[in-house]
Amino acid sequence: MTEKPLLFALPKGRLMEQSKDLFQSMGIDFSFDNRKLVAVDNSGKFRFFLVKNSDLPTYVNHGIAGMGVCGSDVIYESGHNFYKLHTFSYGGTKMCLAGLKDAHNSGNDAALKIATKFTGFTRDYYHRKNKPVQVIKLNGSVELGPVLGLAPYIVDLVETGNTLRANNLEVIRELADIKVHLIVNPAYYKLNYERINKFVEDIKEGERLWNPDGLK
Amino acid sequence: MANKNKMKVPQGSEGFFFEEAYIHRKVTEALQDLFNSWGYLPVETPVFDLFDVYRTLIPEGEADKVYRLIDRDGDLLMLRSDITLFLARQMGLILSEKDLPARICYSDSILRHQNSEDISHNEFFQSGIELIGRSGFQGDLEVLLLLGKTIELLDIPAGIHLGSHALFNSVFEAFSDSQKKKILKLTSLREFDEIIEICTPVLVESDAQAAAALFSFIGSIRELDELSDKLKTKSESVYNSAVNELNYLGNVIRALDAAGLAGNIRIDLSEAGSQAYHTGIVFQVYMHGMDTAVISGGRYDNLLANFGINAPSVGFSLLQRKIEPGIGNRKRFTLPDEIIGMEGEDIIESFTKAEKIRKEGKTVIL
Repeated sequence: MTEKPLLFALPKGRLMEQSKDLFQSMGIDFSFDNRKLVAVDNSGKFRFFLVKNSDLPTYVNHGIAGMGVCGSDVIYESGHNFYKLHTFSYGGTKMCLAGLKDAHNSGNDAALKIATKFTGFTRDYYHRKNKPVQVIKLNGSVELGPVLGLAPYIVDLVETGNTLRANNLEVIRELADIKVHLIVNPAYYKLNYERINKFVEDIKEGERLWNPDGLK
Repeated sequence: MANKNKMKVPQGSEGFFFEEAYIHRKVTEALQDLFNSWGYLPVETPVFDLFDVYRTLIPEGEADKVYRLIDRDGDLLMLRSDITLFLARQMGLILSEKDLPARICYSDSILRHQNSEDISHNEFFQSGIELIGRSGFQGDLEVLLLLGKTIELLDIPAGIHLGSHALFNSVFEAFSDSQKKKILKLTSLREFDEIIEICTPVLVESDAQAAAALFSFIGSIRELDELSDKLKTKSESVYNSAVNELNYLGNVIRALDAAGLAGNIRIDLSEAGSQAYHTGIVFQVYMHGMDTAVISGGRYDNLLANFGINAPSVGFSLLQRKIEPGIGNRKRFTLPDEIIGMEGEDIIESFTKAEKIRKEGKTVIL
């Protein structure tokens, strides 16, 4: 009997491009033609879904997709538990506290007022340090928060720091390393563990041999 | 505003109607008939009870899902969020040693908060069995055999994953309760690198690695034997602490195999028990197309002692509403194909005719 394809969610954007490139180097070839959001690979072993980054944990949690590629920031905000069976070498970044340059921000005020997309992470991070925090939820362009006076601080992902510098902001403190994981729904894993374990081994080997320089 | 409220549905509640409700009742009846035929007798538990009685037994992370209320005397109550716990208290109140072993079964609704995102978990109705007062191999096997027959009855594409909390306890005996709790959580999430990190101050690194490898195992009895051999060479101390429980699991599987019920069972040592009260075997049943386990069970030899009777227990509970859409051979539980409608003006005449037809087992509407 032919096995059903493994159901795999990929986040739109750069992570999808990098993952696709890695999978192609492993002989798993697929493309989302004509704005389609579902694709089956050349071997028929995988069915890929292209989803919004922040929705990816929801699809995997509900078992609609059995697994996916997801950053630890998005996993944390979702509040769901997944098996993280592999950490990819790409897509890593840092979660940082930032504020206006030369504003003598110590990040040690009695109650920090922080604008961020990552409200769960920010609240939990400071509560674990026994620090009260007032969190303002923003959905994008978080750097505007301190510039326009909404909040003196932001918590956001920082890769190069160029956007911060362009807005006269600076990193005050690195709060966490953000990694990109292969996440799997636990129940899905239990029923497909042999195929998934083999796939994880293939990814590890594939990543070792992968040359991502060809990435656009 | 009144109209707006009419459209709201509180999280953790559901109504279901007509054919869906019919199927639900038929499935419940079929399960109860099966359980009764094994000598398990029905019990009904109260819808609410005193929260304090269960406070320490509710696993971390579950307490916030419990609906609580205050009665007129100011006592804090909780709605029935898990039947096993409520059942344990009732059994503690009514059973004495002369009643043991006691075989009980139940089918009832549970009431607990579910996040809107998790609403598809359908954790609204539990059916299950408990075997009280039978310890060890015989009891474990009886319950696993009945589990096998339950899955057969429902004809669901399912895999049973069998692990052991006793194995977990024997390997991590040297650790404090809080460390064990943390390791248990990490085991359930398959975070084995973190387990090695936590274990290393207490165990030498090779033992920590061997323990992590042990609890990552999922496989067949043959693969378990291979793992056991490897473990012996890699870490004698982990092997020595694990060997009895590994042999026990092996014996359970061999016995189930002899009964023809081991086909869909996997030994899964990462199943070390999600409930604080587990003591021996633990198992979860996973079903294709479902996002979480649909049946959970295991041995909990000390739970009833909290309620006044020191009796070992083993049982399982299935999330029936979650399973119902995936039941095979559904025809057994659906409405009859033909529903006869009586024609004619005279309702008494129709009634008389209908009664005759109904005696043939057919459904007639007037």
